[in-house]
Amino acid sequence: MRIFSVSHKTAFVVDHCPYMAESSRQLIECDMLTKSRSQGVIPLAPVSKSLWTCAIECSMEYCRILYDVYPTKKLVNYIVSDSEVHILNSWKQENQNTQELMTALAAVGPPNPRQDPECCSVLHGLVAAVESLCKITEYQHESRTTLMDTADRVANRGRIICLTNAKSDTHVRMLEDCVLETIQEQNKRAAGSDRLMPIQQCELVLVHIYPQGEETLVSDRQKKELSSVLSSEVHSVRAGRYLAGKLNVLVQQHFDLASTTITNIPMKEEQHANTSANYDVELLPHTATVLNPFSHETVTLKWCTPRTNSVELHYCTGAYRISPVDVNSRPSSCLTNFLLNGRSVLLEQPRKSGSKVISHMLSSHGGEIFLHVLNSTRSTLEDPPSISEGCGGRVTDYRITDFGEFMRENRLTPFPESMVDAACRTPVERAKFQLERHTRYWPMIISQTTIFNMQAVVPLANLIVKDTLTDEDVLTCQKTVYNLVDMERKSDPLPISTAGSRGKGPKRDEQYRIMWNELETLVKAHVGTSERHQRVLDCISACRSKPPEEEERKKRGRKREDKEDKTEKNGKDTEEKGWTTDSERLKGVMEREKDEQSECEIIKDSPDSPEPLNKKPRLATEEQQPPEKSKGPVSLLTLWTNRITQANSRKHQEFAGRLSSVNSKAELYQHLKEENGCVDLIFYLIVQLYFCMDENSFWDLLSPI
Amino acid sequence: MPTVVLLDSSLSMTRPVSVEGSEEFQRKNLAVHGLTMLFEHMATNYRLEFTSLVAFSSLWELLVPFSRDYNTLQVVLVTDGALGIGRGSLRHSLQTVKQRVDDKKFPLPFPFPSKLYVMCIANAEELQATDSMDNLEQLINLNGGEGQIYTMEGPLCLKSVQSMFGKLIDQAYSPFHAVLRCGNLTSDVQVFPRPEPVTIDEEVDPIPKTVQTDLEIVGFIEIGDISSPPVLSRHLVLPIAVSKEGDEIGTGATDDTEEETSTNQMAGKSPNFCVLLHGSLKVEGMVALVQLGPDWFGMLYSQADSKKKSNLMMSLFDPGSEPLPWLGRMSQLGPASDAAENPYGEDDSKSPFPIQPKHKRSYAQNVTVWIKASGLQTDVQKILRNAKKLPEKTQTFYKELNRLRKAALAFGFWELLKSVAELLERECTLLPDSAHPDAAFQLSHAAQQLKLASSGDSKYAVFEQNITPMLTDFSGGGGADRI
Repeated sequence: MRIFSVSHKTAFVVDHCPYMAESSRQLIECDMLTKSRSQGVIPLAPVSKSLWTCAIECSMEYCRILYDVYPTKKLVNYIVSDSEVHILNSWKQENQNTQELMTALAAVGPPNPRQDPECCSVLHGLVAAVESLCKITEYQHESRTTLMDTADRVANRGRIICLTNAKSDTHVRMLEDCVLETIQEQNKRAAGSDRLMPIQQCELVLVHIYPQGEETLVSDRQKKELSSVLSSEVHSVRAGRYLAGKLNVLVQQHFDLASTTITNIPMKEEQHANTSANYDVELLPHTATVLNPFSHETVTLKWCTPRTNSVELHYCTGAYRISPVDVNSRPSSCLTNFLLNGRSVLLEQPRKSGSKVISHMLSSHGGEIFLHVLNSTRSTLEDPPSISEGCGGRVTDYRITDFGEFMRENRLTPFPESMVDAACRTPVERAKFQLERHTRYWPMIISQTTIFNMQAVVPLANLIVKDTLTDEDVLTCQKTVYNLVDMERKSDPLPISTAGSRGKGPKRDEQYRIMWNELETLVKAHVGTSERHQRVLDCISACRSKPPEEEERKKRGRKREDKEDKTEKNGKDTEEKGWTTDSERLKGVMEREKDEQSECEIIKDSPDSPEPLNKKPRLATEEQQPPEKSKGPVSLLTLWTNRITQANSRKHQEFAGRLSSVNSKAELYQHLKEENGCVDLIFYLIVQLYFCMDENSFWDLLSPI
Repeated sequence: MPTVVLLDSSLSMTRPVSVEGSEEFQRKNLAVHGLTMLFEHMATNYRLEFTSLVAFSSLWELLVPFSRDYNTLQVVLVTDGALGIGRGSLRHSLQTVKQRVDDKKFPLPFPFPSKLYVMCIANAEELQATDSMDNLEQLINLNGGEGQIYTMEGPLCLKSVQSMFGKLIDQAYSPFHAVLRCGNLTSDVQVFPRPEPVTIDEEVDPIPKTVQTDLEIVGFIEIGDISSPPVLSRHLVLPIAVSKEGDEIGTGATDDTEEETSTNQMAGKSPNFCVLLHGSLKVEGMVALVQLGPDWFGMLYSQADSKKKSNLMMSLFDPGSEPLPWLGRMSQLGPASDAAENPYGEDDSKSPFPIQPKHKRSYAQNVTVWIKASGLQTDVQKILRNAKKLPEKTQTFYKELNRLRKAALAFGFWELLKSVAELLERECTLLPDSAHPDAAFQLSHAAQQLKLASSGDSKYAVFEQNITPMLTDFSGGGGADRI
């Protein structure tokens, strides 16, 4: 893909000379109601569009489709030419919409048939188009600026679509020569300017429009290279629907769109509300949405019921904006309104074999409709091991709910472009910074933490991770601490030790000591953030129960205390690891408790963890599982090794011991125990999709068995 | 990417290679040795790769019925480069590649993205002596240049075949190890299949982008908000245990040897961030946005294979600043808590997504298209229908009238304005006696305004200026019918 391809810039040049005011001679009856009125009303004469009107509405349709499918990076510069040049917009992205072009066109108005034809020409417009193609777009400018010394990678290509009424083939040649000359001239000028770029490639598409019922004076001509820079093609088309059809084909070619028809759309009939009929709607998405981009026929996708719901995450390999071909038709607007209201539709693609497979999804996002390409091929990730079988998969008490809460707190939201904070961080950098703060102390499993299992700690835990604290926040934190002190005074049970509540005093003290340590660890991790954070820590230090050392000394024997001291010192040395050691200690406590009493209550289980394994008595035999017992399909390696082993075994007599070995370990003197035991390890299988010729007899390795 | 191994089983593969002082080898023995090494590598480091083996003896048999269902494939062709002679040989096939009819097309290029690796049990000099190398290179070219030819260096022996297959393994089958981070929570992971380098614009930015080995979570988004985004590829994120020496000890998924089993069991029992993340993503119905490199993002989510099995999966978005239009620029996504007002609402009833584009698309803004006559007729009829129901429908009457007026002015279709003016005047004359007097006033007022506009007079033909209802004594103080 290339952003600066020919389609990056399209200059429309529309002829505004007096002859374009001529009628297209396609009559439109607009007095339709008269028929039902019987008595003596003379119906109005039908109206007819001028060549100019035909040219404008078809070019607007081209732009409508283009802007629907590519709202950015595909730019149009609209130029009208008579005795002078009217440039209706610029390459700027903000100018790229049909509304703005329509306003400008209304100001220009239809061609004036009384204007002197001698001084009017489409040539002015073509010259202006070339000049305009030399002008740099925002995207080219941005790209050149970012690429710095490789700015020459930014190409300048473009297309000129000229809608005119030419006199003859010679006249067409003259127009082409003029464009070619102007490109050469302008390229010289552009070489010496910062805001201009020489044109590297230009496609000229000349559309000659003539009234219906007339013979054309200009012949069609396929694309031809006029020079290394310029190619040109000529289309001679009757005004009216032929012209509309031509421009529709052109927009598809120019922007790689593929006509796609959604069939079998059930719609309520206006007259008969209780019946529904099936309709078809033709859309134009990018060709990449269909499997066969080379087919010129419309691709058919069938409406599928039931619909999908929005909380399902489909595996989608592409999503492309669409534009309806017939935007105002009833079926089209029914479909688009249905989608704009937030509903999605799955579509199935009929296959040659007759089988059907859901291959696409139509869905709108923010008022734009996209055709999603769903992956309908087999996944290469079939039957992967479940996450519970891997690392950490056997752990049963993850803080799943807490982390869910954490994720909600760290949801993202869009910020306006100008939003940068004092430290000049982009929103996404701030998001990362917030995650860093929020995870400074975050134990992953329930049995690793006391404080996060306590409702009483929640206010402090939520506040302390914040970047800034108010005085009120500090007060809330202090209240939390006081509350904990109060709990300790009352000897309230802590969540971790509910099972041990019948225990004696010291155990409760120990738990509070651990809880205070953990709380300190949490707050210490944030103490550098601000002075107010420091105040929270000061509060804890001041309020928490007596220094642990003293307490320990009273209650515990010397031995254990020494151990604790060490871990505590380690914790202070490496502050980051502090909490790990703490939690390890906590584990120790739990284990001790387990020793003391057999029942140990689990606080809460994480929903996604596997069931804890039943504890079986450890047997030596259990560890020696024979490899062939391993579950799952046999790997190619196994097939291959077995095959080779077998081939080799034919060449020599295998040792009796190895033949009967398990895991390459042969038991000696086994005949003393029992007679059988020879395991047949050899089995053969080869994946062979095709095979022939008699050469294979040489191939003892791969010959069919 | 599934792998198909094609093993040349033709007679020439049994040619002996002379190695001094050792037992005699055939080329096929070398091939077997190399493949064993490849398969062993896959079994230990690339376990989830789908692999199949095909033996062939003349090249036209490459027409194996590959399942179209795999959208990508790697093909490893092991051959001695002896191309055979006559019909069906590669040489003959390549010479006649353009004469083939549609239903007997040459298998290359494959109808799916693929990489073709040719492992030659021969050295380069040998292949260059004949046209073998040229023909093999042509194969790669036919595959759009996707692939590579490997030849043996030095004498044909076990050592050089090992080194050749070693290169293939490094090139195509080296596992992708990374560290997944969410702030200070981390996990060592293997990403499978390994993410391939991506080129977005071969002209402006021809250097392929690679996924960095530090996968940093930036935040979280609801599944409904991310809304089935298009992705480049999908990958399993498997936590791996790293032992103290820094050696990887596998994903802990399957059990091979005794020691590994016990280490895996240990790894299974120590808490891992991936499992926690996966569990919460699954329960909450959310995805984690993850940064893959400068201006490149992806998402992590729980993918359920069946009711019991589910996994942590990572999908890669297109590289670039705005891969999903409905999320806007990725760098502008910040923590919701930084917003002045909670964008999700206090009760989670709102969402800041999707982002609305500046301009509405044509199908969302009631555009006027008169390409088909029916389009124009419908618009005229709408006006007439409302004209008959004046003054009740004054507002819609002028709304439709102004829509037509604007389009006619833009298209330079003044003739239509005159015709519609005449239609309205006629409507006025046909009003029944019972009609409200205001109807006649509004109809003639509208007709007159259209005529003025059709004259092109700059005073009356201003695009943005709408025709407003005439203020009459009947229209209730004039305030009722504002458009």
